[in-house]
Amino acid sequence: MAHKRTHLWGSAALGTALLVLGGAIAHAQGAAKTVWDGVYTADQADRGKAAYGEQCAACHGPTLGGIDVAPPLSGNAFLGNWNNTSAGDLFTRIHDTMPLNNPGSLGAKTVSDIEAYILQANGFPAGQTALPPNQAMMAGIKIVATKPGS
Amino acid sequence: MTGISRRRLLASTASTFVLSGLAGSGRAIAATAPAGNGAPHADTEWRHYAADQANTRYSPLDQINAANFNDLEVAWTFKTDALGARKEYQFEATPLLIKGRLFTTAGSRRDCIALDAATGELLWMHRLDEGERALNSPRQLSGHGVSYWTDGTKERILYVTIGYQLVSLDAATGQIDPEFGVNGVVDLKRDFDQEIDPVHSDVGLHATPLVVKDVVVIGAAHTAGDVPEIRQNVRGYIRGFDIKTGRRKWIFHTIPLKGEFGYDTWLGDDADKAGNGGAWAQMSADEELGMVYIPVELPTGDETGIYRRGNALFGESLVAVDIETGLRKWHYQMVHHGLWDRDIPCAPILCDIPHNGRIVKALAQPTKQAYLYVLDRTNGKPIWPIVERKVEAGDVPGEWYSPTQPVPSKPPAYDQQGVAIDDLIDFTPALRAEAVEFVKNYKIGPLFTPPVISKPGRWGTISAPGVQGGTNWPGGSYDPETHIVYVYSKTQPSVMGIIPNTDMNVSEFAYVHGISGMQPRKMPRMGAESGGGDFRPPPPPPPRPGQKAGGGAFPGFLTIQGLPLLKPPYGRITAIDLTKGDIAWQVAHGETPDNIRNHPALKGLKIPRTGRPGNLGPLTTKTLVICGEAGFYTNEYGVRGAMLRAYDKATGEEKGAVYMPAPQSGSPMTYMLKGKQYIVVAIGGGNYSAELVAYRLPGKA
Repeated sequence: MAHKRTHLWGSAALGTALLVLGGAIAHAQGAAKTVWDGVYTADQADRGKAAYGEQCAACHGPTLGGIDVAPPLSGNAFLGNWNNTSAGDLFTRIHDTMPLNNPGSLGAKTVSDIEAYILQANGFPAGQTALPPNQAMMAGIKIVATKPGS
Repeated sequence: MTGISRRRLLASTASTFVLSGLAGSGRAIAATAPAGNGAPHADTEWRHYAADQANTRYSPLDQINAANFNDLEVAWTFKTDALGARKEYQFEATPLLIKGRLFTTAGSRRDCIALDAATGELLWMHRLDEGERALNSPRQLSGHGVSYWTDGTKERILYVTIGYQLVSLDAATGQIDPEFGVNGVVDLKRDFDQEIDPVHSDVGLHATPLVVKDVVVIGAAHTAGDVPEIRQNVRGYIRGFDIKTGRRKWIFHTIPLKGEFGYDTWLGDDADKAGNGGAWAQMSADEELGMVYIPVELPTGDETGIYRRGNALFGESLVAVDIETGLRKWHYQMVHHGLWDRDIPCAPILCDIPHNGRIVKALAQPTKQAYLYVLDRTNGKPIWPIVERKVEAGDVPGEWYSPTQPVPSKPPAYDQQGVAIDDLIDFTPALRAEAVEFVKNYKIGPLFTPPVISKPGRWGTISAPGVQGGTNWPGGSYDPETHIVYVYSKTQPSVMGIIPNTDMNVSEFAYVHGISGMQPRKMPRMGAESGGGDFRPPPPPPPRPGQKAGGGAFPGFLTIQGLPLLKPPYGRITAIDLTKGDIAWQVAHGETPDNIRNHPALKGLKIPRTGRPGNLGPLTTKTLVICGEAGFYTNEYGVRGAMLRAYDKATGEEKGAVYMPAPQSGSPMTYMLKGKQYIVVAIGGGNYSAELVAYRLPGKA
């Protein structure tokens, strides 16, 4: 009996595992988003633009063009450098290292707002859902320079 | 005699000693070469940022060559994540190699480290925690590296901290030199001929110190001046210090004081009230001539010169001063009263070139404006005529416009200058047509077309090269055997619009760089002022993507359907033959960016390699020009990375390419150690943190 019970329990565990796995697959599919899927809101990008002006424009320029000591955040150079990474990667880079004079000071919400503005400035469409203020929650949003299927 | 002068010029490093040895010239040079040189596989050194005081970034090594470049393997890597409180992604240094040890600055706190050059093992590390003083610096992160000095017995490593202090260390141990400054440190914010706040003042330096004889020469860098916060910023004077004691030997006033040479090139008393004018680039030196060559940036105001009227020496001038006294020997102003943020971004390359039947001690200065200025370095006179040509004036109230600008007759420009309809994107007729409509909302014209007042429908002047140049801080490379300069440059235009400013809290300037409709934003001096208490109401929301706002989704963004406004190449390497003053060859450098390769508007088109924009320094060896790519691309295996590429230096033909997990961020250097040639390069960027990578050929090390 003990053996059987174990077996039963084992089956149940397997079932649960399958469910969990299935959930994971579903989650992965659901999260297989790209920056073309409207992953930020227009309001968020507006907030991000204001924050960018305060926190970033001094080095990266008013039109995200970069200067001698800071790379561009728009156009070719930017899209090339971040193509096939994730919104979460970009979030981490900004959150942990920017601004150079006070890294870590922006706070997750401002970072996601600024990232929304950068996405907007690079021509990615706004949508109904804001970029979350959390790296893990946007790790599944892929940055792809070219619109999938286009 | 000519051979002698060139030899002396180059004899200051051991790596160049081998140049003579391998070149079979039979010239015997004692100089500073280590034991065993002359043998084909003798150890070599790399004692200066760009190989030598001439800034050639040249090595005659040839173990790694066209036939085997693709066989290169990673010998070791050194990740810098643990240096500093957080990771760094912008590792711009070139290490030095002396007696089997690599020396460099690294990490987000700019620590100074020594590595075993064969294995990448950490030998020692020196760290100065400068607290708020560092946070306020206009030049953050790891910087461009260190400098080396020896008298044959003592050996010193010198570097400038983020907080603008000069440190002298024992190369063997990393311990401070107690005889130098105060406990091994000279506070560069003192003894500066101006009173400045030690914690908050706007001065720092990325460049390495220049060590020449027993003098260490220090430049100065400031926050960018697009929207200058104040008019009377710190002045970027240049100083020479005694390398043994740290005592100041001399100072050169890049903004002349009343009564000094150049003061009368300023209108009224503008010179008394100006700041900046630093030298943030590397410098060169000729010990035989006793001169240091200093590339000077603009006084305050990168695109607006209303408070620095006149030609305003020594703005955007190359200045030669005496090594021992700092007294000016000559100067050459490359842009009069600059309005385009051209600075002089890198060291001039010292070169002895055949000209009119004799060898001339010359120098070749790569620039943001994509001219290579070739001057006689004994007196500053142009080798080929440089002609003053009339240029257009702009419409900014109160601005002073130079009626002419100096234009070199040779060599020709090595990158796109100015913008005309023919320069616009032309992959398809539709893209060209869109670009033609787009530029109707901007001012375009030749190289010296001035910035103009920004307004809807004429947002500003499209300047090519843009604010980042052409060529920037890594500078070029030079083959002393063939007299060819190799230089990387990018084609990346900028909008130069000028907007009025009435908020003195933002800027003391009445006009600043910007786009109409955008509020002028403070360019805070790094540090205390960021965050909190400085909030401004958000500007009106931008037009949504796809909605045209006078020639584009956003004014100021120079793209057509996400593609660059101008034709490729976007990045290139040019070989310039100084025996003729002509371009020998030019290649697009860098794989076509993913967003162009996959762009829907370009489907079915065969786009040749476009190159890509960045800041890159090429390395020249016996047969190759070696340079990494400036950005990531996704390769045929779906893997992100960048390639370290090798070109036949005679033809520009690509001979090989080796994978790097991230783009080149510093410039490559090379050395021979125990019979193996190494190439070492700093990489990083995007989501890949900084790393030093060493390559060598397979086989037992």
